[in-house]
Amino acid sequence: MFRYLPEQASDFAHSVDSINNLITDISVFFTVLIVGAMIYFGIRYRRRGGVDHATPRIEGSHFLEVIWTVVPTIICIVVAVYGVYGFRVMREVPAGAIEINVTGRQWAWNFTYPSGKKTVDEFVVPVGKPIKLVITSEDVLHSFFVPAMRTKVDAVPGQYTYQWFRPIKTGDFQVFCTEYCGTKHSAMLAKLRVVSEAEFARWEADKGRALSPAEQGEALVKLNACGSCHSVDGSAVVGPTFLKLYGRKGEFSDGQQYTADENYIKESILNPQAHVVKGYPNPSPMPAFEGKLSDEDITNIIQYIKSLSEAPKVVVAKKQEDLTTMAPADRGKKYYQEKLCIGCHSLDGSRVVGPSFKGLYGKAGKFTDGGSYVADDAYITESILKPNAHVVEGYPAPSPMPAYEGQLSEEQVKDIIEFMKTLK
Amino acid sequence: MSASSTTAIAGSETNYLNCERGIWSWLTTVDHKRIALMYLYTLTLFFFVGGIAALAVRTELAFPGGQIMSADTYNRWFTAHGVIMIFLFIVPGIPAVMGNFLLPLMIGAYDVAFPKLNLLSLYVYWLGAAMALVSLGIHPVDTGWTFYGPYSIKTGSAVVWMTGAAFVLGFSSILTGLNFIVTIHKLRCPGMTWWRLPVFVWALYATSAIQVLATPVVGMTLMLLIFERAFGVGVFNPALGGDPVLFEHFFWFYSHPVVYIMVLPAFGVIGEIIPVFSRKPLFGYRAVVVSSMGIALVGFVVWAHHMLVSGISDFSAQFFSIVTFLVAIPTAVKVFNWVSTMYKGSITFSTPMLYAMAFVFLFMIAGTTGIYLATLAVDVFYHDTYFVVAHFHYTIQGGAVIGLIAALHYWFPKMFGKMYNDLIARAAWFLIILGFNLTFLPQFVLGMQGMPRRYYDYLPQFADLHLASTIGAYINAFGYSLALLNLFWAMAVSKKKAPSNPYDALGLEWRTQSPPIKDNFETIPTVDDTPYAYGTPVASH
Repeated sequence: MFRYLPEQASDFAHSVDSINNLITDISVFFTVLIVGAMIYFGIRYRRRGGVDHATPRIEGSHFLEVIWTVVPTIICIVVAVYGVYGFRVMREVPAGAIEINVTGRQWAWNFTYPSGKKTVDEFVVPVGKPIKLVITSEDVLHSFFVPAMRTKVDAVPGQYTYQWFRPIKTGDFQVFCTEYCGTKHSAMLAKLRVVSEAEFARWEADKGRALSPAEQGEALVKLNACGSCHSVDGSAVVGPTFLKLYGRKGEFSDGQQYTADENYIKESILNPQAHVVKGYPNPSPMPAFEGKLSDEDITNIIQYIKSLSEAPKVVVAKKQEDLTTMAPADRGKKYYQEKLCIGCHSLDGSRVVGPSFKGLYGKAGKFTDGGSYVADDAYITESILKPNAHVVEGYPAPSPMPAYEGQLSEEQVKDIIEFMKTLK
Repeated sequence: MSASSTTAIAGSETNYLNCERGIWSWLTTVDHKRIALMYLYTLTLFFFVGGIAALAVRTELAFPGGQIMSADTYNRWFTAHGVIMIFLFIVPGIPAVMGNFLLPLMIGAYDVAFPKLNLLSLYVYWLGAAMALVSLGIHPVDTGWTFYGPYSIKTGSAVVWMTGAAFVLGFSSILTGLNFIVTIHKLRCPGMTWWRLPVFVWALYATSAIQVLATPVVGMTLMLLIFERAFGVGVFNPALGGDPVLFEHFFWFYSHPVVYIMVLPAFGVIGEIIPVFSRKPLFGYRAVVVSSMGIALVGFVVWAHHMLVSGISDFSAQFFSIVTFLVAIPTAVKVFNWVSTMYKGSITFSTPMLYAMAFVFLFMIAGTTGIYLATLAVDVFYHDTYFVVAHFHYTIQGGAVIGLIAALHYWFPKMFGKMYNDLIARAAWFLIILGFNLTFLPQFVLGMQGMPRRYYDYLPQFADLHLASTIGAYINAFGYSLALLNLFWAMAVSKKKAPSNPYDALGLEWRTQSPPIKDNFETIPTVDDTPYAYGTPVASH
């Protein structure tokens, strides 16, 4: 009876629910017992015909007082100990947990993964692995609540809190902010996506293709939660919408005229108080981004705002590149970008997850099974199509790299090798 | 106490209501009964204002998405609801109205120990209420009634006004509590030993102790806030090196015991009503008294159970979870004793008795759902969900407010010498209980499904239960309006005189005329038995 808790998606959800259900059963039993006794006494001993009948002057019973003190005490001890035990499991993070930094801000959740990947309101974890969340807040109190995992802890500015869970099934789950944090508290939601380990590795390594300035600007707008106050669809929130903002003319609160050009936008971002447009709250509630955003970031944001002002937005179809006329190495570079090899393999010699492509061709070394190799055409082809056939010493085994067999043709692999050869 | 001595003294025509006339005679009165009535009128006003805020909130939540207001407006309404209902209505609540009226009558005294202090505490309450209204009027607070920082620090100056109001209101509480403690110690009539005190008086005693000991902490918190804002001393604001969790500690160190200020007097009311309408002594009188004192005591060491997921240490969380269970035991003892009182009684389902029985049912739900929240692993899930909202309303509305309404119906003939329309009173009872359960039972289910509190908007999966809850809130509000209008009609318009002791009750308050004369008693009475000596003595075994 009364089993309403959501789906169980973490390994300790089951034990939380069994404590919960035990309390429910005890509660229903005692409520029915006591309310039942009260109603029974009410009916059985009701006054009849408007005249009181004789009643015995019973003042109490020591025996009963002891019983109904001791029985609830025993029940309370059992439930309390059970609850504390369940809590301890929630606080002991198993070794080898994947640590993800979570920052709450009005009104978004930012996630930073061990690879350095950053997301907003998008929370992806592999199934079966313990996940530790190290949580803080940039502004006010928030609370990170994942009902399906049965976990919750406050995000406190200036402090770190943590929670952990081990997802036991894949799927999408809701994340709520459960500590009141202002206007958009009820919109401070995130989606938790539990995926297979391989999918997670691919997802985490995927840092995205090279983005255009406007696209980078869009990402920055999202990351800094500008959308809390500035819409991109023309609707009024707190500040002006970004839609068709660029080029707009108007008046400041001091009567001065302005045109929303690059310099105006830059000033508005870095020092919102310098000039406030008529009709908007003065002083502006917007935080100053001086020192928080680089010049390049601001240029990119301006490009993004400009792109929202090109009306109607014409998507210029990218000219289909003629692959046949391209040099093999250039084609290889294109595949390198398209297949997101860039996520794990750098071009500048730095090590990310896999080896850098710089100076890779012709290198010699040892496999984990002791065999030695030279990075020739055959070796590289095998590494791309079947990454797990041989793993080089010092790299994770089994390799997290997806197999490209069936995804890349022999011709394409050759082109990639040609591209590698150019990276001496 | 023989039956004959309980018969009313033939009502003389002068009483505390008509002995003096004019507004000035009320504003300068030191009569505890008149002060009680002035509290009653003010509190009723705030109950309606707070109720309108509740309906605004529930109307907005009837369907997903924005309905009648913006998110910011919604945040102000739910804050106004909480602040008004807690600080202006239910904290003064039963002690200020029923306690003031009944305490001297129940212990056989002419007045409280410090009548002028009593009037002062009313004026202090009015001052605090005015400050709260100013803050709600000029700069509506949107922090929730808990004022958690740093949000409350960032959101403007209103929070200082509001905490200032709470500080002033706190002084009113302290003065009333002090007055009651001295009155109970010093002004009991001959024969009124401690173990003959009505349980309602015991409840007031426990409540007063909490008021005097816990309320100063709010003053302390305010001083620290002022220091922080005026001199930049970092106390709560992390930007100044302060700790927002410390604010939570201070806040709950006061605000948790406050919950018992609200419900302990209601326990006392129920302990008075059930024996009278069962014609039986209160079962386990001493156990009921000791449990009240136990709850008051334990109430001081459980505050951080409001903060189990706030980032306090794991050790603290475990400690506060375990001690919280200590509240459950004396509460259970009370419920068992109330129900046992009805055993072999002669039970009348009068309106006060119906409220008392509804109270037991509602408090069973309030108490058992409290067990979920005390249980650490389970509280992690329920904290700050609708489950907490529902649990809180079952204790405070189902407990304290129903207790106050029960008391008003029970002592109404004493207070005004008139009788209300019983049929309408029962109809209102039915609507209140129906509406209340329809409002808050769905909220338990919402909480179990993970719905967080203080949400302006919600996911579509929660829509049906929210709609049910909103419909319940309207029925509930209609029930309260009907009940209070019925009482108001009886007080102001009806000519239906009530007998001085319509229930043949044995309490000392019934041994004087209704309404009482200005000085309560012609001469100080003497008692020689408990106020619960109902029924035929049985041979002890």
